[in-house]
Amino acid sequence: MLLGSCLDKHAPPAAIRIRWAHDPETLAPLALQNQSAMDASNLMYLSLLQVNSKPLSIEPALAEQLPEVGPRGDSLTTFRYTIRPNAAWDDGRPVTAADVACTLKLMSCPGIPNEISRNNYSRIRQIELNPANSRQFTLVCQGQSPELLLISGDFFILPEAVLDPQHRLRSYSLPALQRWPATRPPDSALAAVARQYQAADLANHPEHAPGCGPYRLARWEKDRYLSFRSKPNWWGKATTGLPLALQARAPQLDYLIIPNASAAALALRRGDLDVFPQVPAADFNRFSTNPSADVRLYASDSYDIALAGFNTKRPALADALTRQALSRLFDTAGLLRGTQQGRGQRTAGLVPPFDRTNYNDSLRPVPYHPAAARALLLQAGWQPPTAGQPGWRRASSRGEQKLQLAVRYRSSDELFATAALQFRAAATSLGIAVELRPTESALFGKALADGDFDIFMRTLHGNPFAVNFAPLLHSGTSSETNSTRFGNPACDQFIDAVATANDSPQRVRQLRQLQALLQQQAPLVPFFFLANRVAARRDCQGLYVSSLKPGFVAPTIERTAAAASR
Amino acid sequence: MVRLLLRHLGQTLLATWLLASVVFLLTRADGEQAVRLALAPAADLSMPAVSQAEELASRAAARHRLGLDRPLFYVGCSAAGSWEWGGWHNQYHQWLRALLHGNLGTSFRSGELVSHRLAQALAFTLPLTGLAAVLAILAALVLATGMAAFPRWQGPVRTVLVGLHSVPLFIVALALLLLFANPELLNWFPAYGAAPEVGTHALKQFFDALPQLVLPVAALVLAAVPELTLQLASALAHELRQPYIVTARAKGLRASAVVRHHALRNALLPTLAQLAELLPAMAAGAVVVETIFALPGMGRLLAEAAATRDYPLLVGGVLLVGLARLLSLLLADLSYSWADPRIRWKA
Repeated sequence: MLLGSCLDKHAPPAAIRIRWAHDPETLAPLALQNQSAMDASNLMYLSLLQVNSKPLSIEPALAEQLPEVGPRGDSLTTFRYTIRPNAAWDDGRPVTAADVACTLKLMSCPGIPNEISRNNYSRIRQIELNPANSRQFTLVCQGQSPELLLISGDFFILPEAVLDPQHRLRSYSLPALQRWPATRPPDSALAAVARQYQAADLANHPEHAPGCGPYRLARWEKDRYLSFRSKPNWWGKATTGLPLALQARAPQLDYLIIPNASAAALALRRGDLDVFPQVPAADFNRFSTNPSADVRLYASDSYDIALAGFNTKRPALADALTRQALSRLFDTAGLLRGTQQGRGQRTAGLVPPFDRTNYNDSLRPVPYHPAAARALLLQAGWQPPTAGQPGWRRASSRGEQKLQLAVRYRSSDELFATAALQFRAAATSLGIAVELRPTESALFGKALADGDFDIFMRTLHGNPFAVNFAPLLHSGTSSETNSTRFGNPACDQFIDAVATANDSPQRVRQLRQLQALLQQQAPLVPFFFLANRVAARRDCQGLYVSSLKPGFVAPTIERTAAAASR
Repeated sequence: MVRLLLRHLGQTLLATWLLASVVFLLTRADGEQAVRLALAPAADLSMPAVSQAEELASRAAARHRLGLDRPLFYVGCSAAGSWEWGGWHNQYHQWLRALLHGNLGTSFRSGELVSHRLAQALAFTLPLTGLAAVLAILAALVLATGMAAFPRWQGPVRTVLVGLHSVPLFIVALALLLLFANPELLNWFPAYGAAPEVGTHALKQFFDALPQLVLPVAALVLAAVPELTLQLASALAHELRQPYIVTARAKGLRASAVVRHHALRNALLPTLAQLAELLPAMAAGAVVVETIFALPGMGRLLAEAAATRDYPLLVGGVLLVGLARLLSLLLADLSYSWADPRIRWKA
């Protein structure tokens, strides 16, 4: 009977079932900690602007159109927004500028878990409401760079009527809240707002508050699944020209938490799963070599880059020549073939080669060349090992330096485990001692922040609309983000210029020069941009694969039968 | 007997408190990791630049929110190296006071009550591990008595069991998955704990979930049976060489009756400790099996709590598993007293 029930074939459900490797843990809209939480919140809440996958562009979501942008003085930019007239919360109230102001103030309100939002949107310095139009407001942002457009509109708008029904926050200005010291306790009004926010428990029960997005959370069993149902009377259904992510064609989206990739692959083949995003390279290859009539494969570029970095504060790695030499011991072409089955793009810098405008195509990826590495080491003043003295040595003002390297990477990451072994083999052939230190994920971050490494390997995430090298490579940023501790006046100048330039051709020129300078200085060794791989059931249509996270658009997917009957 | 029980219970509670206190203090001493993980990922190419002051302010706010800005214990070492009084509002005192009121705290990551989260996970883990434990015990009894009754089968069965015992659990689980949940081989069971239809009745959900338990339970049974069986079979073999067995046989009893009625009770004595070990294992869950079959049980919960430095959840889980372990030791002691009169007389 049990076997019979197992073998019983049901008709495919209406829900589109998507695999997640991890539970989002919390859906607190001001403290989204991972991509799953971001994807889930994108279904329930809306921001003013939305990054569209096809065509790749920033488009208005809650906003009626892209904001009117203008400079204010020589250091500020204003963004004048108008919210769509039909935009409404689930309870029927219209979305207004007061909701936007409340959201921005909640990001800086003490006593609320908002540290992530506070940091990400601290450049929005003021909101000016239009007394004549409750849907219109102006955001005043610090700086004048093009990236500010996305920052000004890329945060989820929350309902003031639920989170601050007494309008307590209206008596505080945004700058006053932003200046509130972290250690100063909130006053009674702010404490009441914080209590109200915590009582709403959006982290675990976002369905308790109305949203303005196309879906509502129907059920969430932690570590098992989340189910979202489309709202039958959602205001956006009557609106044309919305970005893909807001075209809620799927009546129900079930996100299933399946940590093991093999189980997810089998579930997809069995028809228990519809979409398997971010398929590991080996599983994708297995799907390709052993094709199933029911499964379709998709691949696209991604903005995720695999790279290695040097601890430039270590005396042995402080000079560019030594770093250039060691860069030539990474066989990135071999790694791309061996670990990614050739899918992905080798790169000379942190800008992806498919970004033809910004990528410096006069540069070539650093070649794997141990002989050149040896020559560069000699040029950098290193003495090769001899019979009596193993290892490379160099005399310096602070005594003799030894070239011994500790390589850190996340122990769970197969790509970097392979890269580390390859690097050690190449280095050992030259007589350089390499110690591999695979590290637990949380400790890896700590080791990088503390500088407890010579070389690290990791993946960095990016997007096409904001390229900011300052946190990674500027001498003025903390070691929490600038893991290499790299700092160079010429690079700083370019990084600052790129971050503030609002003239497009000039910015492109500076970005290209920066890439050339970074390749010469070699604080980082870019390996390749990883490919985005998605596998889906053939009876799912409307799947748009994109280089943006999460790699595809979920709400547009629907079953062929459902699409035909529509 | 009552005095013995009370003494054991007192010792168990004391040991549990000590265990939880040590785990609490060890984990909280590494509180900065939790603060770091509560903030955004460290490096992202699209991340806005954050000044040193903003970074420090965020950390201070997160530390305050998580209650990690208070002294850890009643006494601590100051920056100058001298001992100083931490006051009554220290983290340990607050935690202990809440614990005495039955409050295990709230999760750092989700803000949920730890007790609620543990109860949710136990609701999945106990049916899984409990069913596996019962089936493993039954299988071990059948196999061990069978081996004792039919000695010529001992060699082959022992070889198979030793072989199975040497295979890691994750390989057993993956092999079952690839064999029985694979459309290209035997497409009999689901590959993961599928989501139930929203709005379906709890009873229907339970019956729908049964097929999902077959492979995980089978993996756990296959992992547990060899050790239990080999131990029991060895104990039975030892008992069957004793003079009282010769007497039983001389009375004309059948071989199976000799095993069941005479040898088995004595042979169970060394196995009692192994059986008692199953209780904490049931509470702790099976992280490998839960991960491979996507079951939201205790093993996965605690492993992820450790990885994400969700200390309240981790300490709550350790407290629960530690309590189960100590209770199992208590049960093992009492079972020995019950099963072996010599121990009772000595006590």
